[in-house]
Amino acid sequence: MATETEIPAEAGLGALEVAQPPPLVVETGVRQSQKEATRNRVIVAARDLFDAQGYQGTTIREIAKQAGVSVGSVFTTFASKGEILSQVMQDRLDGLYEELDRVMPHLRGSTADRLCTMFSIHFSFEAQRMKLFLAHIAAAYDWTLPAAATPFGKTQRLQDIIRECLVKGVVEGDVDPAVDHQEIIDLLMSAYAWTYRLAVWDGAGADTLTVVMDRQINLIAAGFAPR
Amino acid sequence: MKHIAPLQAAGEAVVKVPTRRTLAKQQTRAKVLAAARRLFSEEGYEGATIRDIAAAAGMSTGAVFANFTDKSDLFREIMLADMVALGEAMREAADRAKGVDDALLKMFSAGYAFYKSQLPLARAAFSVGWTPEEGPQLRNSEPSQQLIEQLVDQLNAGVERGELGQEAEVKLRAQMLFEAYLSNYKQAIFEGWSLDALQARSRDQIRVLLAGARRG
Repeated sequence: MATETEIPAEAGLGALEVAQPPPLVVETGVRQSQKEATRNRVIVAARDLFDAQGYQGTTIREIAKQAGVSVGSVFTTFASKGEILSQVMQDRLDGLYEELDRVMPHLRGSTADRLCTMFSIHFSFEAQRMKLFLAHIAAAYDWTLPAAATPFGKTQRLQDIIRECLVKGVVEGDVDPAVDHQEIIDLLMSAYAWTYRLAVWDGAGADTLTVVMDRQINLIAAGFAPR
Repeated sequence: MKHIAPLQAAGEAVVKVPTRRTLAKQQTRAKVLAAARRLFSEEGYEGATIRDIAAAAGMSTGAVFANFTDKSDLFREIMLADMVALGEAMREAADRAKGVDDALLKMFSAGYAFYKSQLPLARAAFSVGWTPEEGPQLRNSEPSQQLIEQLVDQLNAGVERGELGQEAEVKLRAQMLFEAYLSNYKQAIFEGWSLDALQARSRDQIRVLLAGARRG
């Protein structure tokens, strides 16, 4: 499908880059900002294409064309399509997590309530780019994904936010201290991913997702409540 | 759809003895499927091409296309056949269980044992399963729905025996159990978890997901 055009370009261009003489300091600055501009254009183009036609349906060549750069310059910045996707998601999620870091400390109510709020913020944020998020999940199983990429399920900050929620719950007495936090996190993450799939396949909106997710959170909460 | 074909072939066979042509066609299909299974395991879904599959099966791409519409058709046929076999394995495992927790755990374990020897194929299946086109087809397929149905049956049996309350939200709980079961493949595929480790994890997940439904 999409892979044919991608592989050969990598090695050759990397070698070219190395072969060039070390540039002057001033030029480094220019080159650096050019590289930055290319990177941003690629990220924006990739984000729109992944969201419109999915991850597998998008080729590096299309991304380059939409960004108005050469296929070669895409590969000087990114090693693979998987890495581009990872970066697209990272840029987007940085904003979301900053928001959550601000909001979370002020939330009141039970641990389940706080988790519900946290995920509903997620859903309204991701609702703008449903397919993109699914692509992110699909890429977790991609053959060509580099080790450095961050597929769904390894998004550390989301996991940390949930963990803090649970730790606070232990202190406040509605989370069993004996419960394995990572297991609860993984259950919530799999519920979250499944709920998303519902959205894309059934065309459900953020409100429906929140309702479905709330039920699942409460069901899981019954499992981490002190006995 | 195309993958119903074997069933129809079997139905015809009752009425009349299959001709040599039908037999040859079945053999071709089997050969292609075996080659495709191997290549999907080795190269992943995207990496395996129809051309490679045809070469591995020792035939032309034309002969492959005479039997399957495209690569996704081939992959789906393999997946569906596996899911039917998996469903059988799970049913047998659950029959030997005592109580709802044990039945669910035995079903999960049967699943992990089934895929243990073909994790690369499972990985390809997950990758394909999240695509907008193929995902719904696999997930909504009869064999896949049957797996969830089995979980529903076990939960209902738990309600009947009084292990779980009447308000057990059986459908949602079955779906969540299924997702939990699937989510552990990530550990199996990428972190090399043993069957024992997967089983221990599953036991905890089942306990958590059933906690709110228990009586008393």
